[in-house]
Amino acid sequence: MNKSTSFFSVGNPLYGDDGVGKAVLDTLKALPEYKNATFFDAGTDALSLIDHFSKDGQNIIVDAAKMGKSPGSVVAISPKDAKLIIQWDHLSIHGFGLAETFQMAEKIGSLPKKVIIIGIEPEEIKIDKGLSETVVNAIPKAINLIKREVNINGS
Amino acid sequence: MKKDLNINVHHLTRVEGHGNIVVNMKEGKLEKAQLEIVEAPRYFESMLKGRSFHEAAIITSRICGICSLGHQITSLKATEDALGLEVSEQTVLLRKLLINGATIQSNVLHAYFLAAPDFLGVGSVFPLVSSHPDVVVRALRMKRLANDIGDIVSGRAVHPITPVPGGFTKIPSVSELTEIKRRLEEEALPDVMATVETMIALAGAIPKFNRETEYISLRNENEYAFYDGQICSSDTGLVSDTEYRKMTNEFVVSHSTSKHAKVNRSSYMVGALARWNNNFDKYADGVRDAAAKLGLTGVNTNPYMITIAQVVEVAHCVYDSIAIIDKLLTNGLKNEKPNQTPTKYGMGIGSTEVPRGILYHEYTYDRRGQILNANCIIPTGQNLGNIDDDMKKLVPEILDKSKEEITLHLEMLVRAYDPCISCSVHMLDVDFIE
Repeated sequence: MNKSTSFFSVGNPLYGDDGVGKAVLDTLKALPEYKNATFFDAGTDALSLIDHFSKDGQNIIVDAAKMGKSPGSVVAISPKDAKLIIQWDHLSIHGFGLAETFQMAEKIGSLPKKVIIIGIEPEEIKIDKGLSETVVNAIPKAINLIKREVNINGS
Repeated sequence: MKKDLNINVHHLTRVEGHGNIVVNMKEGKLEKAQLEIVEAPRYFESMLKGRSFHEAAIITSRICGICSLGHQITSLKATEDALGLEVSEQTVLLRKLLINGATIQSNVLHAYFLAAPDFLGVGSVFPLVSSHPDVVVRALRMKRLANDIGDIVSGRAVHPITPVPGGFTKIPSVSELTEIKRRLEEEALPDVMATVETMIALAGAIPKFNRETEYISLRNENEYAFYDGQICSSDTGLVSDTEYRKMTNEFVVSHSTSKHAKVNRSSYMVGALARWNNNFDKYADGVRDAAAKLGLTGVNTNPYMITIAQVVEVAHCVYDSIAIIDKLLTNGLKNEKPNQTPTKYGMGIGSTEVPRGILYHEYTYDRRGQILNANCIIPTGQNLGNIDDDMKKLVPEILDKSKEEITLHLEMLVRAYDPCISCSVHMLDVDFIE
């Protein structure tokens, strides 16, 4: 089942809670119900998502997100219903992140119809720290939310 | 002519980690012209302490999304140098193929996403997508092929997994390499030609500005140096990479959290234009012809031409990748095991040309194969002093322009170097629509 579901993570595991996306993806990979799903960790190259989106399938992206909520909060964000803040200062290609990638994908017609971001509010983004306890505790919440999203929107 | 000028390009984003351009002129005297880096220091060296030789390349590949392959290969070379691990010809060829892929990707993104919008006067790549969608789609197609090279050779395009100390844990198949070669010939070569034509059409918008500086890059008598070579200074010639500290001399400045560097002058340049200036004799004739069409015929002292030198490198990397695949297939792919038996312990250095210039990693290992000390010198740090010196010469030369035009010229200058800032964390920032 869920053959057409693609899971993505964005973020840097060297920086504390910024690595939560990859941690969630690693957990999902071990679940039997997603054994036919595809997984791709974009790490710090969000733009590479454009090459891996499933055009007709369900796309779920997991990322640490500053949402103004309490640390460990997990929210399913539809890009249509939220404003993803462009942070790129146009001085270096290095600042091209998820918000910028979405805008690019939309303009060239590569943004899939079914795409949801699972945002997890971080507690601490600090180099050489693992995930905070608060964010580790949020992983099961994220998994449950993803399961719901796949059931609602998946094919 | 202006007597007073105050430019302060602070990008008011919510994240830390950006470069601010600050220029201050009072009564005709330039008091300040500099790029301020306000990113928190990253302390990767301290993170490497105590890590095993198996881990160093994996950790350093996470330093940066765009430069991940460069850090990984440089880290592997430093580890192999320290532990006395010899690698095979096949390993070197596969690594060179990976470097070509990473260079194509980075240079294409730089030329199309950062420089082309300036040359067309559209501000950023987003309006370019609407006005010139074919051009942006071409850029993304070239990036994808470059990523696919990474995917098949290193297991994954971003943060590779199969390159390890002493070799590769898995090598690509004959059919995978043959398919990549077909795409290089049928997709990439026409795209390179189209890119050259696009850049010729835009070259008139490149600002005319020249400042001679010291150019430092690797140089290899046998080939255009990316993977290895001696350190070459345009001022003083060749030295071994064991002398890299003398060829960087890092120092702290108050306006940047990133260290600056200098050798024979107050600053020096690394990157595509420095490589061109030190190595253009090593290019194949066809590539040099493309360079000539783009206005690069010999030593060039205009930093805005970095973009053009990058486009020339893309052409070289495509041709060179085809030649490498031919050689690998002619030699026959061997299922080699990585050589991971240390023959010594101690200090080792890796130096590689990554898209923005020479990258150095130095590690000292103890007898358990764990890192005692690490030192990484990235290209952007080496270029920062040169950017400041460019600004100091540029501003007085363009004072007859409006403040907006001067600001644009300064931003274009910084973009030409494409400094590696704010790359380590890309956290999504969301406002919910109530």
